[in-house]
Amino acid sequence: MTLLSLTDVHTYYGESHILEGVSLEIEAGEVVALVGRNGVGKTTTIRTILQLTPPREGTVRFKDEEIAGEETHEVARRGIGWIPEDRRIFTQLNVEENLRVAVPDRDALRPALEMAYDAFPILEERRDQRAGTLSGGQQQMLSLARGLVGENELLLVDEPSEGLAPQVVATVAESLAEAATDTSMLVVEQNLPLALDLADRFYVLDNGSIVDEGSTDEVSADSERLRRYLSA
Amino acid sequence: MIDATLFAAEVVPLSIVDAFVEFLHPSELVGVLVDGLSKAAIYAMIAGGLTLIFGLMGVLNFAHGSLTMVGAYLGGAIMVLSVSSATGPMTRLAFFFVGIVVVFGALSAVGGALEISLIRRLYDRPPIAQILLTFGLTLIIDELMRIVLEFYDLQPRADWIAAWGTKPWFLSQRLSIGPVDVRGLALFEILMGVLTVGAIWAFLTRTRYGLFIRAGSEDSEMASALGIDVRRVFTVVFAMGTGVAGVAGMLLMWDTLWGASVPLGAETLLPAFVVVIIGGLGTFRGTVVAALLVGMVDAVMTWWFVNEIRFTGLPELTIFLILVIVLIVRPQGLYGVEGVGGH
Repeated sequence: MTLLSLTDVHTYYGESHILEGVSLEIEAGEVVALVGRNGVGKTTTIRTILQLTPPREGTVRFKDEEIAGEETHEVARRGIGWIPEDRRIFTQLNVEENLRVAVPDRDALRPALEMAYDAFPILEERRDQRAGTLSGGQQQMLSLARGLVGENELLLVDEPSEGLAPQVVATVAESLAEAATDTSMLVVEQNLPLALDLADRFYVLDNGSIVDEGSTDEVSADSERLRRYLSA
Repeated sequence: MIDATLFAAEVVPLSIVDAFVEFLHPSELVGVLVDGLSKAAIYAMIAGGLTLIFGLMGVLNFAHGSLTMVGAYLGGAIMVLSVSSATGPMTRLAFFFVGIVVVFGALSAVGGALEISLIRRLYDRPPIAQILLTFGLTLIIDELMRIVLEFYDLQPRADWIAAWGTKPWFLSQRLSIGPVDVRGLALFEILMGVLTVGAIWAFLTRTRYGLFIRAGSEDSEMASALGIDVRRVFTVVFAMGTGVAGVAGMLLMWDTLWGASVPLGAETLLPAFVVVIIGGLGTFRGTVVAALLVGMVDAVMTWWFVNEIRFTGLPELTIFLILVIVLIVRPQGLYGVEGVGGH
């Protein structure tokens, strides 16, 4: 079953035409990587899906229902979660409050917190600490945990490894791989090995358009296929 | 060898020493403390709603003072209509608390309606548009109130004396507690301030909706991506902020230092802005601390200028002096953070 589909989507920032007819699909239970150089429109694609930057043309359908034009909170309540590129944790709230704010159902709060603390024990140790005082790696774990505790069917993950130490990247990759067993994902990632390890399929975005797509098995056999789009 | 007493008398005039000794007398000290806390309570109440609205929505609501004034008249009307000379003190107090609930509900409804119909349209415009709109609202609200008051033969610029008379007797008099003599109403204002600040604090930190407000005030986009209807949160906060302004107005209606009058709006708006700026725009904790600071400094300086220097116009200047010092030393305010106003 197709979980999310974008068809001929055009998105603008003011007069700048960023997405020029993007079409992509994500099946239920699938992890899809969206790769491309900096500034080609990967984050804009995620913002378009969430209706943070609504498209001017094209359709965005989730579980066969049109979501273009809906409010962002309505899109989120349909079960689409977001782990943003720059973490965007609530720095004035403590760790546990950051997690609580992401759990829509009160009854689900306790198991959600247990799940988050099992995945990232350091967060439990610092549950009462103000999130703004955490280290960069801990903030990324919190951002990830906040995305995972929401009852989401699709997670939009934007550059989860950016700026992290290799050891933290391994923890993040492990958590995403575990989450991928029961949640579909669209992963935007510059770290190609990480993206390909996680994903079943990939799309390459260049200058606002999809220029290549396929299964990650195909590119494993042809390592140059993606690199020519990603080199500057 | 220099005589220490003579030296002190020459360097520090004896009148100042005497005044300082008089100030440190327990009865004076406690009197100033109660006066300072009552001022702080009022400042916290009138500035609390303002800071909530700015913290979440980034809207500087210039109509806040006028809404306080509406609360004062609405509360006064409730009291004047329900209290007669035969009404006992506890019944008057009970009517007051019923009035608080009515005023909070009515002003919250007005605030919610203003946010939905007018303020919401200006979120994506430059701040000057919001300032002009809310300033325009002030003029409209004040003018409408003048029309209503003249219809009922009340003087818009003079304090509403009939409303003062609805107080229970123990709030109209000075109460002696041991050697200390304090205004009964000042103690009541402290109690109301503590209750109001405590209620807002509990709402923000102990409820799920309070959590949404704090998250939304920091990053409204991220909050909506987590499923929070930030627009509705904006409406609730604006309604709550105006409701608290109304409650403060109802309390001021009883106070002969303020009283219900149309200029009350402008009189409360200025100290409210001073307190909000000193505390740090948009932080509720900062507002409470700044209200305490400003209230206490105001009370101490009022005592000195009234009892010793005998120049009653000057104490207010000290409040603005604090503002200037804070803006120079810590421009973001005592508890301010950069980038407040989640919108």
